[in-house]
Amino acid sequence: MAAETALLELGLLFAAVAFVGGIAGQIRQSVIPFYILAGILLGPAVAGRLGPYALEATPFVALGAELGIVFLLLFLGLEFNVDRLLADRRRMTRAGTIDLLNFGLGFLLGFGVFRAFVPAFFVAGAVYISSSAIITKSLIDLGWIANDEAGPMLGTLVFEDLVIAIYLVLAAGMVAGGTVTQAVQSILIAGGFILVLVVLAARGTALLERLLGTDSREFLVLRTLGVLVPVAGLGLTLGVSEAVVAFFVGMAFSSTDQVARIETLLEPLRDVFAAVFFFWIGVVTDPLVLLDVAGLVALAVAVTLPSKLLTGYLAGRVYDLGPRRSARVALGMTVRGEFTLIIASLAISGAGGPLAGAVGETISAFAVGYVLVMSVLGTTLMARSGPFERVATKFLGTATRL
Amino acid sequence: MGVYETDLPGVGRKFEIDVGDGAQLVVVIHNTGKREVFHKPSSEADAEKVFEASNQLSQTIGSILEGAKFQPVEVDHEGTMLPGETVLEWYNVGADSQLADRALGEGLVREDLDVLVVAIQRGDEIISSPGPETVVESGDTLVVIGSQGDVLAFEELVASEAVEE
Repeated sequence: MAAETALLELGLLFAAVAFVGGIAGQIRQSVIPFYILAGILLGPAVAGRLGPYALEATPFVALGAELGIVFLLLFLGLEFNVDRLLADRRRMTRAGTIDLLNFGLGFLLGFGVFRAFVPAFFVAGAVYISSSAIITKSLIDLGWIANDEAGPMLGTLVFEDLVIAIYLVLAAGMVAGGTVTQAVQSILIAGGFILVLVVLAARGTALLERLLGTDSREFLVLRTLGVLVPVAGLGLTLGVSEAVVAFFVGMAFSSTDQVARIETLLEPLRDVFAAVFFFWIGVVTDPLVLLDVAGLVALAVAVTLPSKLLTGYLAGRVYDLGPRRSARVALGMTVRGEFTLIIASLAISGAGGPLAGAVGETISAFAVGYVLVMSVLGTTLMARSGPFERVATKFLGTATRL
Repeated sequence: MGVYETDLPGVGRKFEIDVGDGAQLVVVIHNTGKREVFHKPSSEADAEKVFEASNQLSQTIGSILEGAKFQPVEVDHEGTMLPGETVLEWYNVGADSQLADRALGEGLVREDLDVLVVAIQRGDEIISSPGPETVVESGDTLVVIGSQGDVLAFEELVASEAVEE
């Protein structure tokens, strides 16, 4: 790609996501599948084959996508509150433990298809983790946020966030090392790095507070990035998932007084780079491979849609909700999104290593296809929850307990 | 009146306020500063959004509701809590009050009552730091500070009518 057209290509990327984002807003759908589809259509796989010109996954776009992952996980860390987890630990842990059934089923499914541990582990993570971003947004859009069903949904998501932080450490270790010894080695390095990070986060609050204690919004943003990006980059150099590092950096920031300002100021940055990430994942996804995995996606949907519905419903019951509200929890939890895609990007980075041959690409395409289905399906189910609520009330409860 | 506070991870905080007849007002304060106010006719019903407001607008609405701009006079005021356990209160002395037409130091205010009359408002005039010899007139407003219990005991004294001698 010539340097003179680089800016134009980046401009086309932003124009494309802005355009399809508008469409998604019009029809009240999540933006994530639309960004992915825009990437697929404008990428080498479709535009490259059918048209004279296609957008490439240039190093800049790939780096932007990486920043998107870092920002997504940073926000997860910023919102992650240990006190909150402890305060509500009984219900959250019960709902979260029930939810792990999806991980188990995903693992069995992955093992059945790939006959190997590492791919099964990736499939398990991809189908397990619900989408915080889409579910939270739908809760607000539908007004459910003021109802009791918001409790178990957000509670389960918090539990999942913690699981996914540990999961990403293990998964990144697995793709880094070829042999079991190498994998264990890199997991230990990752564990050590994160331990150092946690200790620094716990001890360094005063230091961070001093660093971030500035009236200037410009300096606050720059200093936050000045800590976040180098630490994430250092982690990546050492073979630790940058996503996990960003999560822990976010946790460190969350104990400072500046957390609300950081969130307000960085939110637009997160949204920009997250859009680049979703677009990028579309660009690197070949729809032909997507067609190849269509059967696997269909199988995964057939298994994990009912299982997520079940665990979501039970989560509602753990929070003492009646059948109607528990049905809403069930429908909402089926939405998968950004985290499944982060696992997909990890699978791509592992291609050639332990995910030898086409396995990495297959898993990534599977995750993308799965998200395309589950994000649209889940959002639609939430918006049209009425019939499901009536069925749940009729068959699962008495009329008095709504 | 019950007010229940719940954390909404990733969103903000939720406040549920009982408003009688099983109905609730639900206020969601987003991390972005946006406020959403919902009405829930009963505990089983879905919350219906009443309005949403920005941080700034909410503060204006809040201070109007609080009575910062207009406060009907007949309202039972509740005084002001000062730091510590001290309460600042003010009372009108009615014509029937046993404090009327007597000096503050006339022994009606019990010795063990640790209440300080810091000022008396009489018409447009303010008598600051009144002494034991200051005579209270009916229509006066006494501004007092003291502990919650002592101030309440003082309120009874102000309200109690003079005993016919």
